[in-house]
Amino acid sequence: MQIQEIDGFMAKCEAKGVERDVSLFMLQHEPVDLGDFVVVHVGYAIQKITQAEAQSAWEIYDEMLAAEAEMEMELAPPDHA
Amino acid sequence: MNHSAQDWLGLIRQLPLAGRRVRIMNVCGGHERSITLAGIRSALPAEIELIPGPGCPVCVCPEEDIYQAIQLALREPVILVTYGDMLRVPVNAPKGEVRSLEQARAAGGEVRPIASPLEAAQIARDNPATPVVFFAAGFETTIAPTAALAVQGLPENLSLLLSGRLTWPAVAMLLNAEAPGFDALVAPGHVATVMGPEEWGFVVEEHAIPAAVAGFSPGSLLAATYSVLRQHLEGRRFLDNCYPEVVRPGGNPDARAALEQAMRVTDANWRGIGIIPQSGFALREAYAAHDARTLFPDHNAADRRRMGEMPPGCDCARVVLGKRYPNQCRLFGNRCTPRNPIGPCMVSDEGACRIWWAGGMRESVASERTGAPARE
Ligand code: SF4
Repeated sequence: MQIQEIDGFMAKCEAKGVERDVSLFMLQHEPVDLGDFVVVHVGYAIQKITQAEAQSAWEIYDEMLAAEAEMEMELAPPDHA
Repeated sequence: MNHSAQDWLGLIRQLPLAGRRVRIMNVCGGHERSITLAGIRSALPAEIELIPGPGCPVCVCPEEDIYQAIQLALREPVILVTYGDMLRVPVNAPKGEVRSLEQARAAGGEVRPIASPLEAAQIARDNPATPVVFFAAGFETTIAPTAALAVQGLPENLSLLLSGRLTWPAVAMLLNAEAPGFDALVAPGHVATVMGPEEWGFVVEEHAIPAAVAGFSPGSLLAATYSVLRQHLEGRRFLDNCYPEVVRPGGNPDARAALEQAMRVTDANWRGIGIIPQSGFALREAYAAHDARTLFPDHNAADRRRMGEMPPGCDCARVVLGKRYPNQCRLFGNRCTPRNPIGPCMVSDEGACRIWWAGGMRESVASERTGAPARE
């Protein structure tokens, strides 16, 4: 995903039109800037990568988890209580 | 190194396999998904077998832990949050009783699927008066973010029911057995990104088994396949890194530091398999106030029937260990489907049964009466 905004350890990242809040906590060992690409797993950036590599199947899994969570939410909205 | 998947396939087809069977194991649901969905198996020479191994943390999550999570949701005034693919994993409860977190939610339990530890923290902050339990299963890559969250500071009302596992000890267990069942290993790119590729050195050094770290694209997987085949044929073995753009020496230092600070490594139970030494994560003492295992009573009665086991008739444990292919389970595709899953391997996105089903395989090759021929 590509970093759009940074606020402390939190960043807004975007990939294929989807925006997510992503933690940069595990990238403290590297300088990270707006426009950089990162590998995201369960909402955490775990590696900085080049743009070319950002197209890899990496994020498919993460997106799948997110989609699944949304699907489950639709089945039974959490705020029924 | 700029070969395409087609180029790697061409190189593999030129290798002098001469009828010699080579069994290559992967230990990552993401790898198995790419292999299956890209149709890599059928594109390879017949001598090459690609075996899905221990790559699904939800599949080996102790039945006791899932049962406990269900009971917490039903009996304690908590919000139970967990990754979506845990919701439908069945436990061994008698008919009529709640058998999954999904059913616990239908029965009135407050169960919420999440996609990130960040969401667990947010739900806890949004509900300060309610204890929130994050039931977290996963391998290193998924547990490291949980550790990072702990290190950063957990909301007071958030606790962790941790079922984290390490990948390499399961491979070590297989290799230490008399018949490991594979001749080469494709090591998991996501685990190596976090922990460093060096973790897999033992496969080559102690067991003389060729190994290569791979990413998730067919190109990277085929590069790793080519590498281990060549190593195997030439008798020149080393740990190759076919995902160097992402997997760096030493892994991710912040992720490893967070894991080290928040968690210790302990002997751990794998569902249907048993205890694997030094294969689990547990919260360190300093985080005891956030450890759901100490905060809540254990609701597993000692005499619960089939406690800890796979569901009756389910071959998931052997599938996880690479001893059977999914379609060698006699329930595959008939009694067990993603819609009506019998075992965890048909539930989780990383489960080999679910992946093979998604790849279009629908029928069991085992006869109902005799069971399947074992893979070996
Ligand atoms: S097909 Fe179903 S019952 Fe058979 S091993 Fe897979 S999950 Fe278990």
